[in-house]
Amino acid sequence: MGKLNLRSNVSDNDKIKVRLFAILREVVGEGEITITVPSGVTVSYLNNEILKKYPQLRSFSNKFVTSVNCKVTTGDTIITSSDEIALLPPVSGG
Amino acid sequence: MIRITTNHLSLQDVMRELEDNSAGALSIFMGNVRTRGSFGNVSEIYYEAYSEMAEEKMREIENEAQTKWGIKKLVAIHRIGNLKVGETSIIIGVSSEHRHEAFEACKYIINNVKTRVPIWKKEISEESQKWTDGILIG
Repeated sequence: MGKLNLRSNVSDNDKIKVRLFAILREVVGEGEITITVPSGVTVSYLNNEILKKYPQLRSFSNKFVTSVNCKVTTGDTIITSSDEIALLPPVSGG
Repeated sequence: MIRITTNHLSLQDVMRELEDNSAGALSIFMGNVRTRGSFGNVSEIYYEAYSEMAEEKMREIENEAQTKWGIKKLVAIHRIGNLKVGETSIIIGVSSEHRHEAFEACKYIINNVKTRVPIWKKEISEESQKWTDGILIG
């Protein structure tokens, strides 16, 4: 029974890879981070977990948007471990 | 042709790409690194991109320009990495049958690249290195 519970817990979590760019990458010190979240969570949930794990990003919480598979999304978008997620600060190309 | 590259940008190469005998007009925009930045004097600019998404967004903008103005050919290339003052960071070239379409499409593309494409720049001087303020992609 214990083994079954353990297996169930493992499969109920997703390891989400999140790419960071520009100032967010520099503040964290890495271009990609991994966040473990329960399966089926939303972008908002993921962002909250990121801010818990990397409190240095809190002052940027209203200064980035989240993309899922190269599309900027709303907070209620559900994510999976196969999605490519990125945090994008304000853009300034050209 | 849409591309993000670390290579030096060549106007001649872009002109060759745009050759089209059915086009009577050709409009080119080039963005260069200038000495005066948002925070003072600049010696170079570091450009960073989320390249996969940047190229996808640039293709989206290209399609919009195509729908609006029916242009003949389009080239949009953005360079990333460290660029010194005077170097070219972006070239946009549009060919069309008449000048109005080429001018308008070129302006539309550069304005939208600056506000919708995930590219960032950091101004570098002898005193400091700062990411410039920008626009959140909507």
